[in-house]
Amino acid sequence: MPSGALLFQSIILGLLLGGLYALLAAGLTLYFGIMRVVMIAHSAFLILAAYLAWWTHSRLGIDPLLSMVVTVPLFFGAGVLLQRGLLSRLRPATLTMMSVLITFAIALCIEGLLGYAFSGTQRRIQLGYGTASFDLFGARVAVVKLIAFGLATVSLAALYLLMKRTQFGWALRATIQHRDAARLVGIDTERTAGFGFGLGLATAAIGGTALALDTTIYPSLHWHWIGPLMAIIVVGGLGSVAGAAAAALLLGLAQSLLQIPMGATWAQTVFYVALFATLAVRPQGFFGGRLAQRF
Amino acid sequence: MRSPARRTSWALALSATLFLTACGGGDEGGEGKSSDDPIVVGISLPLTGDFSEPGKGVQEGYEAWAKITNDKGGLLGGRKIELKILDDQSNADRVVADYEQLIGSDQVDLVVGPFSTRLVVPSARVAQEYGMLFVEPAGAAAEVFNQGFKNLFYAAPAVADDHYNHLAEYLLALPADKKPKTVAYAAMDDPFAQGTAYGLKKKLEAGGVKTVVNEVYPPNTTDFGSIAAKIAAAKPDMVVGGSQYQDGVNLIVALQQLNYQPKLAAFSTAPTSPEFAKAIGNKTEGILSPTGYSQDAPYPSNKEFVEKFTAQFGKAPEEDQANGYTTGQVVAAAVEAAGCAEQGECQQKLIDWLHGNKVETVVGPLSWDATGKPQGAHMIQQWVGNDIKIVLPADAKEAELIYPKPAW
Repeated sequence: MPSGALLFQSIILGLLLGGLYALLAAGLTLYFGIMRVVMIAHSAFLILAAYLAWWTHSRLGIDPLLSMVVTVPLFFGAGVLLQRGLLSRLRPATLTMMSVLITFAIALCIEGLLGYAFSGTQRRIQLGYGTASFDLFGARVAVVKLIAFGLATVSLAALYLLMKRTQFGWALRATIQHRDAARLVGIDTERTAGFGFGLGLATAAIGGTALALDTTIYPSLHWHWIGPLMAIIVVGGLGSVAGAAAAALLLGLAQSLLQIPMGATWAQTVFYVALFATLAVRPQGFFGGRLAQRF
Repeated sequence: MRSPARRTSWALALSATLFLTACGGGDEGGEGKSSDDPIVVGISLPLTGDFSEPGKGVQEGYEAWAKITNDKGGLLGGRKIELKILDDQSNADRVVADYEQLIGSDQVDLVVGPFSTRLVVPSARVAQEYGMLFVEPAGAAAEVFNQGFKNLFYAAPAVADDHYNHLAEYLLALPADKKPKTVAYAAMDDPFAQGTAYGLKKKLEAGGVKTVVNEVYPPNTTDFGSIAAKIAAAKPDMVVGGSQYQDGVNLIVALQQLNYQPKLAAFSTAPTSPEFAKAIGNKTEGILSPTGYSQDAPYPSNKEFVEKFTAQFGKAPEEDQANGYTTGQVVAAAVEAAGCAEQGECQQKLIDWLHGNKVETVVGPLSWDATGKPQGAHMIQQWVGNDIKIVLPADAKEAELIYPKPAW
């Protein structure tokens, strides 16, 4: 039986990890919601943002968080271009399947270019506060993990407000819920979808930066992330940002706690067990996500 | 229709040319050698594919060996070394075909090994069939040595299980009140990484040091918070990581974030990488690591190797380059001692000589048991200040081992 202190520490670590998962998965669920696009390249963009943060820090000597000033607008623009230039040209009938292929190709391109530009050497941002931590009722909370969690909370809250309180948000949700109806009431769904896709990629810029604070990065790292992230958005209900966040927290916590009795190898399988269970029992997802019922 | 036809004729022309060139090469390598003929060394290396990074490193080591030896007048009184390197694309089928070609049709005088266990085992089998000596730079896993090869020699100081031998000896020789009492092990699920940690674990357990945590994690693990929490909660005197690179770095940082201060911390591979200090800055204090090669090691030929390699490639050699070079040194020592370098009876003379003798190399003196397993152990290095220094064994050390280690 693990001690209370270890249990508490694991809960703290699990919640912090879950918060990071929520941020990393947010864009993925948006793409699917807006366009039925399975975006395999999302985690490649995360690693790209992480590399840009590392580069900013090691070349320019400024805090990696400041790289977001450039990467967030850059990724937003790239997202709009990607959607308008490539994905919106796919035939609707085969969109979901073809989007897997096309974004797979994009992921390979990003991985290759990262390897070409920065070599395969594994990098880590050397931060003065990289190992700093403080005491919270006997558990240690690492500053970098808390910053990542904070970034996740702020960006997900902003995303939520944007979706619920702004006209663009309404248009985006209308596009997600019923594209034809949205068009009938005068929403320019093409434009909205483009911006929505850009928004998803902008979350990747923030997520990648958060990831870079406390991880060693290398070009092929994205393959390790895409599986768990896909599992999170299915469990959360495809297309639901709030559902993905809830699923992310729960799975992060479960992974962290299961590691105590089962070890790292089996604890990782929690994502896939949850994925199979969801598909078998409740394919529309456990949290929100009425959308997926139609598929 | 025109274009495929044209392509076919090009392909025919090309293969005809290749065929002619191959035949030409074969003639040169035939019988009747004069003392001016080059010694042709056949090598297949993974220059593309999974192992391309280390494969290219080993290639540089071989090239440096050929150049340095030739600049000094070659072997056997004036015969120059000529390398014939093929790319096996990190593919085990391809590597077999490569060695068949090198030995059978190209009639090379000697062969040396490719990179990594997965390619060494099948290629050693080919060399065995032809009765060729097979010195290899990078097959350290146990399965290399239990195949019954009589012609194989691993040109490095030790296999994975023996990397920490010097450290185990040092710790077990400490007086009882100073000896670490509890140890936590975390190892990647990988034969090499796990081998290093478990080699030490076996020896320490036999010496009465208790194992309090024993974690294995898959290679794709990126979050080490929970593993670190488990280790920190058990408060062991010492932590041992059977690591490659990113896992070792992430685990060290995760332990530091939990404010865990062990008396001793040993991690394989990661701390010896040039990228390590850039990744975690001044948080390296006191970390131990076994290493098969150091540019600062005091072995006689090492200074020359580092100097000339740096002049040739514009950078200092790392372990892969050193392993290639060492392989060359071992073969050269056998050739000089046996007085021959060609296929046929000569090969058995080379093999017999290596079984009975010790060879001085850039990684220290090497000798082998009957299976070709080297009899040494790795040097142990420790991070002191902002530099990594050799602390064990006593005859190679640059600094004293600091134990208990300073806080990180």
